[in-house]
Amino acid sequence: MDEVYRLNDEGLEDLELLAKIGGQDREALSTLYDRYGRRVFALAVRILNDPVGSEEVTQDVFMSVWRRGATYTREKGKFTTWLFSIAHNRTIDELRKRRRDRSRQNDDIEDHYDLKSSDISPADAAVAQSEYAKILAAMEDLPVEQKTVVELSYFKGLTQTEIAEKTGQPLGTVKTRMRLALKKLRKALSAEMGAQV
Amino acid sequence: MTDSRDTTASNDDMDPRFENLAGYVLGALENDNERDLVEALIESDSEAHAEFSALAEAADMLAMAVPPVAPPAHLKTAIMEMAGKESDPTPVRSTAEIAPVPSPTPLWPAILRSGFATSAVAAVLVIVVAGVLGYQNNQLGNEIESLRAELTAESAVVSSIQNELLATVSESENKVASMKTEMETMETEFGDTTEMVVHQEEMVSELAIVNAALQQALADQSWLNYVAMREEYQVASWLKSTQPNPAKTVVDASGLIAIRYVGNEAVFQAHGLAQPQPSYAYTLWLLGNGAPQPVAQFEVSEIGAATVPFLLPAPFQLYSSVAVTQERVDGVGNDPTGTMVLSADTN
Repeated sequence: MDEVYRLNDEGLEDLELLAKIGGQDREALSTLYDRYGRRVFALAVRILNDPVGSEEVTQDVFMSVWRRGATYTREKGKFTTWLFSIAHNRTIDELRKRRRDRSRQNDDIEDHYDLKSSDISPADAAVAQSEYAKILAAMEDLPVEQKTVVELSYFKGLTQTEIAEKTGQPLGTVKTRMRLALKKLRKALSAEMGAQV
Repeated sequence: MTDSRDTTASNDDMDPRFENLAGYVLGALENDNERDLVEALIESDSEAHAEFSALAEAADMLAMAVPPVAPPAHLKTAIMEMAGKESDPTPVRSTAEIAPVPSPTPLWPAILRSGFATSAVAAVLVIVVAGVLGYQNNQLGNEIESLRAELTAESAVVSSIQNELLATVSESENKVASMKTEMETMETEFGDTTEMVVHQEEMVSELAIVNAALQQALADQSWLNYVAMREEYQVASWLKSTQPNPAKTVVDASGLIAIRYVGNEAVFQAHGLAQPQPSYAYTLWLLGNGAPQPVAQFEVSEIGAATVPFLLPAPFQLYSSVAVTQERVDGVGNDPTGTMVLSADTN
């Protein structure tokens, strides 16, 4: 008697899911969405402060994964790095477009953390809170000048030149501070979060 | 623990090639051109690739550290539906749908194993195929007939259009021929009119000459009056034209000679003379007192008038006649040889 069984995709690694996505397997996309959809959506909300716009961005990001998943290789870095790079770039593009249109204004960076996340499980919330606390701690340890350039670029979508103009720093100094800030963050967090990331 | 001091100045040992890597990772480059340059560097330079990986992991942590927020449930539905539209139409069953399903027993092999069944199926197939072909043939025939009818109708329309065009062309040609005739008539009339205008211009010109001559005659009359009043001159001779004027468009040439009472001064006046031939000039002769004596050679004005003072070689009454001839300008002979235009007796 011929019987067909399928493995549950939830047990697959990210790269295995991507391989299946390359074969037009929607179940794999569904699993990947369940795994990272909340983080992508959260990043978009964090930057845009607009849940509706963040839905559009999240949809675009996962459709991009659906279309380009087969092109991903390990040489491009960690999968999460690749995924969040897509998410961040798409979100920043949207933010800059809105800034150009001047149709909407974003609040200061601190206001974003007030967003409710009622659908998060207590366990996830605890983990997130822990990770968030660690990144906040690492950010707090950065010199204020370096923290500023990271916040203005990654979360506010300003370019290097715009940051230089806004802060009155030379462009070269802005570039150097960006690099030093990222290196310090990686050094501070990789030891504590590396296993989870 | 991390060092909270900003060591930008002291640690500014960044390889210039890598200056935009952090900006690339943070999405802070200015434009696509800068991004393309960085991506090309990462692909071609292993050190740049390693630096990029390290920086990208840090940015990765920034994203991972944002507290997760559950998106609305309809978002996943929308994404899956969109993916379904773009994917292979074959549906993918979810894990929940996966349940062992017994395979149905195939019926076709049993049927095909029966020879009768095979023949029956073949016969049915032949009938079906023939029917289909017959139906298709009939359909094609109908379509061809329909197309023929349409073609006939189109041909009639084309023929009608051709006839209309021919009629239009013929009518246009007739109009062109008629216009040509009218133009030729107008050209002829214009030629006649032009000729008339030229003739009238010539008449005007001749009348102008006559008018000028009459004006001159009036002037001569005035001169005679003057001479008479002064009583120092008297008209000694009237000269008349010796040649008829066939055109009669100008007054006949004439002349007079007035002499002073005292002394030998005299004046010859003429009008109505034509312009002399080239290299010739008019010459006034006194005749009848021995050899002919040329006393003056003169030119005439545009209207043929001349007033010429001269000295009498002898008392005027000793001469029997006077005359005006055309003689060569480069030398006058002893006798008049040219055409005589004016003459008169002195008595």
